[in-house]
Amino acid sequence: MVDQHCGSAAVNFGVERVLGDEQTNNKLPGDRVAGLHDMRQSLIACLCLVAALLFTVKSRGDDPMVVLIANPSVIQTSLSLETVRAIFAMRQRTLADGQAVHVFVLPDGAPLHEAFAKKILGVYPHQLRLAWDRAVFSGTGQAPNEVATASAMLEAVASTPGGIGYAYRSELTNQVRVLDIE
Amino acid sequence: MEMPDTFQVHGFMSQALILTDHNDFFGPSSRDTGSLEYTELGLNASFRPRSNVLVAGQVLSRKAGGYGDAWQPTLDYGVIDYQLLSEEERVLGLQVGRFKNPFGIYNQTRDVPSTRAGILLPQSIYFDRSRSLGLASDGITVYDEERFSKGTLYVQGGLGIPQVNGDAEISLSPTKPSLDGQLSTILQLLYAHDGGRINLGVSAARVRSAFQSRQNPSARGDFIFQPVILSAQYNAERWSLTAEYEYQHKELRNFDNDIYNAVTDGESWYVQYQFRLTPDWQWLLRYDQTVSDRNDREGKRYASDGRGPSYSRFARDLTTGIRWSPSSRWMVQAEWHHVDGTAWLPRQDNESDEETVRRWNMLLFQTSYSF
Repeated sequence: MVDQHCGSAAVNFGVERVLGDEQTNNKLPGDRVAGLHDMRQSLIACLCLVAALLFTVKSRGDDPMVVLIANPSVIQTSLSLETVRAIFAMRQRTLADGQAVHVFVLPDGAPLHEAFAKKILGVYPHQLRLAWDRAVFSGTGQAPNEVATASAMLEAVASTPGGIGYAYRSELTNQVRVLDIE
Repeated sequence: MEMPDTFQVHGFMSQALILTDHNDFFGPSSRDTGSLEYTELGLNASFRPRSNVLVAGQVLSRKAGGYGDAWQPTLDYGVIDYQLLSEEERVLGLQVGRFKNPFGIYNQTRDVPSTRAGILLPQSIYFDRSRSLGLASDGITVYDEERFSKGTLYVQGGLGIPQVNGDAEISLSPTKPSLDGQLSTILQLLYAHDGGRINLGVSAARVRSAFQSRQNPSARGDFIFQPVILSAQYNAERWSLTAEYEYQHKELRNFDNDIYNAVTDGESWYVQYQFRLTPDWQWLLRYDQTVSDRNDREGKRYASDGRGPSYSRFARDLTTGIRWSPSSRWMVQAEWHHVDGTAWLPRQDNESDEETVRRWNMLLFQTSYSF
């Protein structure tokens, strides 16, 4: 599996698999080391590293922790990753208990938005933008509510029943709840 | 309880300049000054009167050269969407009204510039000259989302009357037989893996219409258009690779005079590479090919039967383009097509098949705005 990831990063020259590797690495720290046992793989790993250095603007370690937040009216304490992806792709309009979801996002280029999309959802901001445009212009969904700043996001989620958004863990207030992602 | 307003209004507009060395595409593009006759305007509104209901509608006004409905505002879609189930692992819903046909990767938002890969979609599959055949249906569609640990399966089935218009008539034959849309079916299965990093899909439709010759009104039967599309896409941070293949079954049947009953199977495919140089700049490279009749790939038999030029039965289009998005609302694009064949060249813009040129080039510029 790790071999596959590294291989595609080397061939495709993209940073995305490197990010993917980081996620994989977090979950399965042993696998990666175990996988690198011959020279070809070491070489590919080197190429991955070079690609990472070239294209990764921020490494995961530099990123402040980003968390999924919700209005206290949301009774769920955790959601599955696919459900959270569906909510932020504007495909899931209600939660399991029937409560309407109101999604809040920051502008595409905002570092917090990018971090949430890539590290938490595992998708790129351009994919989210396309998903929203497709929903909005095909009659299958609505656009999320865009707010300008991280503090406006906290306020909006805190004051909107069914509100869902994201925040830096360091900036959390007790007006919002953190949801775990399974 | 304070609730945010769920009423939303969105829209888009686009204007293109099209220049060709031979043949006309969307207006008199082969003139020195080119054609400005490609404009799109769309406006939609939606709201959620209840947590599990969405009401949405969009009006589209469009000018595309000699295409039939110039500027005439049409209801692009108008649906009441009701989600019967909305659970962690499953969403099940239905749409009643005029719904966009889920067909291939792009069909549902084919007129929205920000959702297209380039100014024109691959014409072999998303042909504009007879677009009404696949655009939208009046009826009911049921959709289901099944979520797994690593991906989501989307299933959608629809039953409705298609908007078969004059564009389909002239594209089917220069004699413009009358076509009247009949109850049709559509089905799509789409699997999105890992948040859409890998997308795989199958779409199939059976579009039925009643056929009546205008030259010989007693010649009546059915025209069946039955396409199947296989779709595959890989999305990375900086690039996307997309490929689709379509098998097109076209059939004229139930004519009393057996001379009309005929089957033609065509096929189309394209491979497309999008590279995001920066978040604002994107480069497109695409090869797109269509064959009107798999048993007559070069159109030789068609030509020897005296029905038209051989090259009107295929098209091979090499496309490259660049897109600049100075903001999430604005987009400026330029695109060049080198085409061998005229299979998807609009008859609406070219007087006669015989006066077209086999090898031609097309340069397009487009500015678009959406909100």
